[in-house]
Amino acid sequence: MGPLAINEIISENTNLFLAFVVGIGFGFVLESSGFSSSRKLAGVFYGYDMVVLKVFFTGAITAMLGLLFFSLFGWVDLNLVYVNPTYLTSAIIGGVIMGVGFIIGGYCPGTSFCGLSIGKLDALVFIIGLFIGVGIFGAGFNWWEGVYMAEFLGSPKISTALGLTDGVFALILILVALGMFRGAEWAEKKFPRAEY
Amino acid sequence: MKPLFWLAIFVIPLGLIIAAVPQNTTHPYKLSATELLNEANARTQFISPETVADLIVKKDPTLQLIDVRSRDEYEKFSLSGAIHIPITDLLSEENLAQFDQDVKMNVFYANSTVVANEAWMIIRQLGYSNIYVLEGGLNYWFETILNPGIPSSTSADEEFAKYDFRKAAAQALGGGTVSALPAEGNAAPAPRPAIKAVPKKKKAAGGC
Repeated sequence: MGPLAINEIISENTNLFLAFVVGIGFGFVLESSGFSSSRKLAGVFYGYDMVVLKVFFTGAITAMLGLLFFSLFGWVDLNLVYVNPTYLTSAIIGGVIMGVGFIIGGYCPGTSFCGLSIGKLDALVFIIGLFIGVGIFGAGFNWWEGVYMAEFLGSPKISTALGLTDGVFALILILVALGMFRGAEWAEKKFPRAEY
Repeated sequence: MKPLFWLAIFVIPLGLIIAAVPQNTTHPYKLSATELLNEANARTQFISPETVADLIVKKDPTLQLIDVRSRDEYEKFSLSGAIHIPITDLLSEENLAQFDQDVKMNVFYANSTVVANEAWMIIRQLGYSNIYVLEGGLNYWFETILNPGIPSSTSADEEFAKYDFRKAAAQALGGGTVSALPAEGNAAPAPRPAIKAVPKKKKAAGGC
């Protein structure tokens, strides 16, 4: 039965419209969790505010359990669900660039649009920098195309790489996440900051 | 601490359930019972031996014969170019990959129509197209192609045309010892079925 658009239960245009609605919901949740404040977001790197870790990991676990239960009930065909292809070199380089940008700027691409939507100027500067980066990448693509496409590993899943079933890996991930949330609360007590 | 406690209470049992349950690898049926019944009654999945012989002689690359009998029978005799997928292994992943395409005509054959038709029903219900069954199976193939019977003198012209075609095919495919009659008119095997283009089910393109 699912994914709906692939099995042609809904058309491609309906799919895009639903994506639009979901996007509005996502932005609303980010903004109401306070993700428009760059100081709150950067807190995950300094330890005084770990909300980013908690929110995104909770979202990931909800999506993972949802997909696995839907597959169990036969509502989704997991073979048709997109798994990101893994290009190892560019994943590492991109991760470093993104992490440095996050610490310096205090935003990631999605939350910068949340900040811009409430009129924050640091979000605006972040977005300008984002587009400059996109432009540089596009203009110089010929030079780094080799590096960008290096080490293509297909679309492996961690569960298959470790030799576990999806369900067992999900349980392990849940326990690890709960442990990390405990660690996050410990960090917030150890690195408090009075005002940010 | 309290919210984390409640989150754990809620999520860990879900995780235990999903870890304990075996992974769902079933392939759902795409056709309803009525749809399959209509197709089976229309009998459009059958290909006559003449058509298949014609395709083999012309070395048509779109033909893919699939032998669904046991391995011993396959090794004793099989049609040229046939691959072996025993009906017991029909639903394994590698074999299913054979059907997820719209380039070749997959033609099941067995000794008679029964087993090949079973294979057709199951694969068709999983939603694959471009699958056919050799009419009459190998028994009819031997009768008509490799040892065709001479039509009686009162038969219509088409019968003679068919007979000439079968003789020629038999010579090409190595069978029968009766000498060929001179050809009269055009041999008219049934036109080969058109290959239905299947819209490839792509995975959702994603990214954030």
